[in-house]
Amino acid sequence: MMIEALIAVALVGALVTFLAPNRIAGKLAFAISLVPAALSLWMFSAFDGAGNALLEGDLAFESQVEWLQLSEYSISWFVGLDGISLPLVVLTTILTTLAIVSSWTPIDERESQFYGLLLFIEANLIGVFAALDFFVWFIFWEAVLIPMYLLIGIWGGPRRKYAAIKFFVYTNVASLLMFGAFIALVFALPEVTTFALPDVATAMLNGGPEAMFGVAGTTLASIVFVAMFIGFAVKVPIVPFHTWLPDAHVEAPTPASVLLAGVLLKMGTYALLRFNFTMFPDQVEAYAVPIAAIAVISVIYGALLALAQTDLKRIVAYSSVSSMGYVILGLIAYTQFGVGGATFQMVSHGLISGLMFMAVGVIYNATHTRMVTDMSGMADRMPVAVGILVAGAFGYMGLPLMSGFAAEYFIFFGSFGADFPYAPIFTALAMFGIVLVAGYLLFAMQRAVFGPYNLETDYEVSTAPLHDIAPMFVLLGLIIALGVAPDLIFEMITDAVDPILDGGEL
Amino acid sequence: MEGVFSYAPAIAAFPLVAFVIALAFGKYMPKKGAFAGIFATLGSLVLSVLMLVAVASGEVYHETLYEWAIGETPSGIGGIEFTFGILIDPLSALMLVIVSLIAFLVHVFSLGYMNAEGETGLPRYYAGLGLFTFSMLAFVFADNLLMAFMFFELVGLCSFLLIGFWFRTRSAPSAAKKAFLVTRFGDYFFLIGVVAIAATFGTLQFAGDGSFVAAAEAAMDGTGEAWTPAGIGIESWVTVTGLLVLGGVIGKSAQFPLHTWLPDAMEGPTTVSALIHAATMVAAGVYLVARMFGYYALSPTALAIIAFVGGFTALFAATMGVVKDDIKQVLAYSTISQYGYMMLGLGVGGYVAGVFHLMNHAFFKALLFLGAGSVIVIMHHEQDMWKMGGLKDKAPVTYYTFLAGALALAGIIPFSGFWSKDEILFDAMIVGLEEPVILAAYVMGLLAVFFTGFYTFRMVFLTFHGEPRSETAEDPHPVGWSIKAPLIVLGVLALVAGIANLAPVAKLTGLDITFLQGWLDGEYGAVEGLTYGAYSDLLAYETGVIGSEQLTVLLAAGLSLLLAFSGAGLAWKLYNVPEPVAHKERLGSVRETIEANYYQDEYQVWLAEGLTLPFARAADRFDQTVIDGLVDGVSTGSRSAGSRMRRLQTGIVTNYAALLVAGFIALLVVLGFLGGWFL
Repeated sequence: MMIEALIAVALVGALVTFLAPNRIAGKLAFAISLVPAALSLWMFSAFDGAGNALLEGDLAFESQVEWLQLSEYSISWFVGLDGISLPLVVLTTILTTLAIVSSWTPIDERESQFYGLLLFIEANLIGVFAALDFFVWFIFWEAVLIPMYLLIGIWGGPRRKYAAIKFFVYTNVASLLMFGAFIALVFALPEVTTFALPDVATAMLNGGPEAMFGVAGTTLASIVFVAMFIGFAVKVPIVPFHTWLPDAHVEAPTPASVLLAGVLLKMGTYALLRFNFTMFPDQVEAYAVPIAAIAVISVIYGALLALAQTDLKRIVAYSSVSSMGYVILGLIAYTQFGVGGATFQMVSHGLISGLMFMAVGVIYNATHTRMVTDMSGMADRMPVAVGILVAGAFGYMGLPLMSGFAAEYFIFFGSFGADFPYAPIFTALAMFGIVLVAGYLLFAMQRAVFGPYNLETDYEVSTAPLHDIAPMFVLLGLIIALGVAPDLIFEMITDAVDPILDGGEL
Repeated sequence: MEGVFSYAPAIAAFPLVAFVIALAFGKYMPKKGAFAGIFATLGSLVLSVLMLVAVASGEVYHETLYEWAIGETPSGIGGIEFTFGILIDPLSALMLVIVSLIAFLVHVFSLGYMNAEGETGLPRYYAGLGLFTFSMLAFVFADNLLMAFMFFELVGLCSFLLIGFWFRTRSAPSAAKKAFLVTRFGDYFFLIGVVAIAATFGTLQFAGDGSFVAAAEAAMDGTGEAWTPAGIGIESWVTVTGLLVLGGVIGKSAQFPLHTWLPDAMEGPTTVSALIHAATMVAAGVYLVARMFGYYALSPTALAIIAFVGGFTALFAATMGVVKDDIKQVLAYSTISQYGYMMLGLGVGGYVAGVFHLMNHAFFKALLFLGAGSVIVIMHHEQDMWKMGGLKDKAPVTYYTFLAGALALAGIIPFSGFWSKDEILFDAMIVGLEEPVILAAYVMGLLAVFFTGFYTFRMVFLTFHGEPRSETAEDPHPVGWSIKAPLIVLGVLALVAGIANLAPVAKLTGLDITFLQGWLDGEYGAVEGLTYGAYSDLLAYETGVIGSEQLTVLLAAGLSLLLAFSGAGLAWKLYNVPEPVAHKERLGSVRETIEANYYQDEYQVWLAEGLTLPFARAADRFDQTVIDGLVDGVSTGSRSAGSRMRRLQTGIVTNYAALLVAGFIALLVVLGFLGGWFL
């Protein structure tokens, strides 16, 4: 019942915060969010799962209750964690707590609603990573959109409505595509009468779908694979479905950006791993070259776009596109280090991008601008905040002994010697991202935080308060911890990844 | 002696602790954290010397200390372990002593150079030095390629932080960025090399039976298995991967064409330059080649490329050094040139000669930079040599120690630089007699000797001789003992370090005095396979002689001495006069090209700012108009609906919540219908 407790605390907490006075909402939400954070850390230490949740693994904190029956199909409340989902749940709870603290300075209207929505989002995110029944999963998946839509639409920047609607409609249309495809798949699978993901995965690996409406089973599987891939690609986002992301980030308030980049993007990659890359090994092999090409394009093209930006938030936003390209490369490599590294990168990027958005947010709080052309020499006035920004930037560049390096190294190593055609060439091309990322981040820092002090806006810049700085130190600590000791999570990740790679032998 | 090795991790850990202390508490401490660094590097030095003694008594240490990650090799050749471990053998023990000694002296010197000059931000400075020393020491004793790569990159980070120390200027952050970016470009190839070697052999160990060198050897013999992509032959693949790793070396050791960051890096404090050039960043590249020399020995092609790049860089950089007016710039180009020699030496199989020069250069280049730092203090932060002159009598300690460094740099007998440079050129010559490519590299290296002699003494004469050419030169600022003491230590080393390996004397007299060769050949103690002898067995080079060996030795030494003296003599004639003039017009048409550093900066800046940046902007426009335009276009149809929708945005969150719940219920109902309807 641990997962239920996690979700319930966040949901009830959301409601309580929603009804609390604005004045205390921030502190209250923080106090409440400590409960799921502590619980999830305890779960992390007590984790006793083994194998993959979808492939006959031993689930941790499993619970399954019959929920409703739609003719012969049954839907059940089915949750549980394995080595892939647990790190993401912990990431979610920690980032939520830190995002709440980082909101104290910038959010000064409708606080109770704001913090309520943050906790509501947390509940749904935990649900997404823990759910093992498609319907339960899908409800959480869709429910995440709404609070994020509101966070951007109400507390966002000048173009918040455009950005919020774009975010909502784009990802929702994609979800619809994915939803339709998956339902069709389940109906085409013989002898499957539940929407439990393990059942679907097992059926997929034991023969796959039968012909439906005159479409052959293998063709149907391929269609479903592509439709779901596109559906998730929007969420990740993968080029060319990425254009909602920079708009959403630029308009979103800092804490929303932290959760958006830190966790929401990982919903897409997590779903790709759970669905496409677990259930469709044949299609993965068949579409390896185009997917690898998309991965490389995402890395390089995303980095080039970041290079062209002058808004710090846009730079970090586009760099996320680039970083997610690495995840796709790791997944398509279909090796232990590739898929394991991709999962590791989900966590690592969550921490690093969260840190970057927070640091940019702290600078924005003080300067009221994010344009690198508007400021110079910020290190002079905000040494600690800039120091953390620089540390985060080097983390983003994959500096060894920080988590980004471990993630990228695992992915590169996993894909260089992988089986898919031209693997070394694709890998070497994608790796050029490590040069470009250094280029755009160092270029931006040179202009914005180094050099003689100058600020184009009329704000008095002072050092940031402790509660702005502390969450960033926590993140930096985690980033270094995972960089020095990746096995904190990598071991459990590979344990859950291995069955996927042996998928055909079930 | 086994017990000593259990303290090996502390060699790197001490400076790491100093980094943390200086960063966290530096501003509350006397001298802003300098003492933490001084004691830490002193501790590292003492331990390093103990390691050296232990190795001399026949012990070596190779221990895996920490498992970073383990798993399956994707190429299907079994499991792989990525670990942190320590390898202390003759090479790394020697290098540990060099690095910790230089780092210690630089810390002491900083007391006079930074503290006494009223710098702000000193805790950051000492934290940077500590992290730098830590990274380099850990790199040196790394027992595998991935660990080496990781600390190699950290060395790059530290150079960024320290070159950009004066971040309130425009130029320092720019130089710091350039240093990191250019070396990152090299490290890109290095990282591909690491990944490729790991995928090929399933191991990244430097030493022992489980090393990738041993695996490569076995695979080439046909007794071992290895994966290669697309069925490439193992010989070619070893060459390719070796060259990929070399990319990192070329970046860090500032070899052509990735040398452009180094002259700009003079924006950092002079003490940092001393550390970067003598013992850390730039040395890291060449050290890496020495560390995995067995791997390069398997590939004649890779070695020849190393030799050629080295010879070319030696000459190329030396010619640029002759027209510089800033004392630090002259030294910067001399560093590039000298590392070219080391590459040349290693490339022709002269493992001992290359390492010997690495050591000697560390001493005399640290000396020259610290000497230049002393001059800069004396001159009230003036670096233009044309504003100096006549400092000889006013600052005798600085002058004589600097002179010792200059004589070593120019390769004048009996100073240390002569012995190692001569040995490199000798090794290159005897191989060159059989291999035309090496001969070309040798000739370039030989010509560079002339230019080295010239620019070195041009610098000495302009700085110290003649009449003072500015008011500050007439009234110099005094320097304290924290500046003088390191200069004296290094000055003595620059004079006597050559004793370590008097190879020409040994060859002529038959005396057994090539101690360094014996050291690196495992006469005292060594890890099997990591000895000069083992490398020589792998090398495919033929060597020739002119007449007899003795004659060849004399010829090689005579030639390089002759050229060094002519260069120095020309400088004497032109610049050792009371009122020297530039004489640059004598260079004629090549002057502009040399002063522009052969336009190397221009094309690289163009690649970044003239090509990549506009391309990125074009991509951005494409993204905004075409890709995003399509997205917006698709939604145009629904835009009228959208505007109606907008009216629902009342801004009252409870309304949204109600809508939200309604939407969920509707969704569930629809799904229910769908489920039933399908059956």
